[in-house]
Amino acid sequence: MKFFAVRAGSIALAVAACFALQSFAVGKGDLFFRLVFLAGLYVTLAVSLNLINGITGQFSIGHAAFYMVGAYGAGYMANNYAGSWGLKGPLLMLVLLLIGAVVAAVAGLVVGLPSLRLRGDYLAVVTLGFGEIIRIFVQNSPPLGGAYGLTVDAQFKFKYVWMVWLLAILCIAVCRNLLKSAHGLPFLAVREDEIASSAMGVNVTRVKVTAFVIGSAFAGAAGAMLANFDGFISPTSFPMELSFTILTMVVLGGTGSITGSALAGGVLFYIPEYLRDLKPVSGSSLVAAVIAVIAAVYVVKRIADHYHGDKGKRAALYLGTIIAGVALQMILAAVFKNVPSLANANFEASKLRMVIFSSTLIILMLLRPQGVFAHHEFSWSWVQRLFGKKVPTTAVSV
Amino acid sequence: MSLLHLDKATIKFGGLIAVNEVSFEIKTGQLFGLIGPNGAGKTTCFNLITGVYKPTSGSIKFEGREISGTPPNKIAHLGIARTFQNIRLFGALSVLENVVVGGFLRHRTGLGSAIAYLPPAIKETEELKQDAMRLLEVVDLAHVANVRSRDLSYGMQRRLEIARAMATQPKLLLLDEPAAGMNPQEKMDLTGTVRRIRDEHDKTVLLIEHDMRFVMELCENIVVLDHGEEIAQGPPSEIRNDPKVIEAYLGEAV
Repeated sequence: MKFFAVRAGSIALAVAACFALQSFAVGKGDLFFRLVFLAGLYVTLAVSLNLINGITGQFSIGHAAFYMVGAYGAGYMANNYAGSWGLKGPLLMLVLLLIGAVVAAVAGLVVGLPSLRLRGDYLAVVTLGFGEIIRIFVQNSPPLGGAYGLTVDAQFKFKYVWMVWLLAILCIAVCRNLLKSAHGLPFLAVREDEIASSAMGVNVTRVKVTAFVIGSAFAGAAGAMLANFDGFISPTSFPMELSFTILTMVVLGGTGSITGSALAGGVLFYIPEYLRDLKPVSGSSLVAAVIAVIAAVYVVKRIADHYHGDKGKRAALYLGTIIAGVALQMILAAVFKNVPSLANANFEASKLRMVIFSSTLIILMLLRPQGVFAHHEFSWSWVQRLFGKKVPTTAVSV
Repeated sequence: MSLLHLDKATIKFGGLIAVNEVSFEIKTGQLFGLIGPNGAGKTTCFNLITGVYKPTSGSIKFEGREISGTPPNKIAHLGIARTFQNIRLFGALSVLENVVVGGFLRHRTGLGSAIAYLPPAIKETEELKQDAMRLLEVVDLAHVANVRSRDLSYGMQRRLEIARAMATQPKLLLLDEPAAGMNPQEKMDLTGTVRRIRDEHDKTVLLIEHDMRFVMELCENIVVLDHGEEIAQGPPSEIRNDPKVIEAYLGEAV
């Protein structure tokens, strides 16, 4: 009984939070609303790719293709058939979402099958090729709008931020539940050693295909949401770079960590958007910033490599380095003010946003190659330990 | 009754005959040794029995049933478990989790129940962990249950491999050089562990080993391979004095 009470409570809480988010975002203007929506999509995409890539260890770089398959599947069905279903609003969107998920899951099955025989880089090439095939196929098929794109009928446009975030939460919950139960172990075992897994009775084929099917189903559901939110999709909405962006989220968050990929999905999506609003900067402060960042990264790296003392002290050293870096930037900027050629040059920082974004990624990988969360997960006992409570690590962690 | 029966099992890799018409029979409850110099085809024999390779010709019967060509995961379900010569643990998983993977083949709940995290799946996970914990006590690893298996010492990793194989509850346990890299004390402990596995847990054991003293002391029956051919078979006392074996492998009597 207690189990069902807790379960019902957490589901109610999740739904309420998502509706609260919706009403909060509505009041903040169209742009912000869309950002909140897209952030939910990216969280779903990153977490679902993490299931394939991080947890099961199947190096897939074609995740955008499943997203695209879901989007087109749902868009096409909406335009051509949904009118006669007699469904409306959230229920119709839910059905379209399921269609996107199923179509993408079938695609995942198709890609999952060759992956039985391929490993590592070979599989990566296959998934990359699959992504391109899908995109070019869509580009050349008139029923799907070809290169012009597919306009989804206005009556099927749904601005459901809440549903996207429920989808993201569901995706996180599925992965977390899988890892908390013994059923998740074969997935991790396949990642660690396929030969040993099969010797222990694990059906490696089935595990890999299951991972692909579940992962791509969530990507497809996300695609369906996108198609019906924007009302327009085209092959250019799903470039190859998108697959790499999702992959970057997984790697940066910490391959295999659900917490990591969920956070990285949201944050990495938001950073470039945030940087759009940067004000122009003078050459002197830009050069000063570059020097300060390089110096700070160097020092942090030295500390990480050579200081193995107390964790608290090390954190203090990092913090000190960051403060020193900011101070260095200010001092240098003041010094460079005296150099006319630098002081008078103005840079549109917002145009440099992708440079800043990429540099951030490189720096993060230099400092923490295992990803921000490495293989760790968020848990309450972890929070308690952070605040100095001694909690035994009872949970079987990944 | 014979548990495992190899009848003229042969495998060729291109022109190389790795195992040539090897036949032997293991009875339930035996401690059986498979020895031979490096490259004699011992591990290949294991790979044939566990389904990693399909024999080119000949038959392999387990409990009277033909198993050659059956995939490794099905073989594990039939009741044959193995350890590996070059340790193959799931490095990033904890010691306990490694053993749970071994026990997982007895799971009854579906994937759906796990994904929804329903009571049956939760309960089963608990049971599997408890079973695993009991096995860790047998091999004296319970105190490191939550340590990442990659971080264990070499001897502990070898013991963990045995525990993981035991977790599948096999009828036949194949140990590939279980004593490799162990010091004399560890080897003695291992002898005791293997005997206990046979006597208290009713397993039949087939093991590959290089350490003569270890094999002679432990095994009741031995097959000797050289260049993929079977050159002798019998109890340790006979093997010890077999001129062919001495020539091929031992060099001198032990």
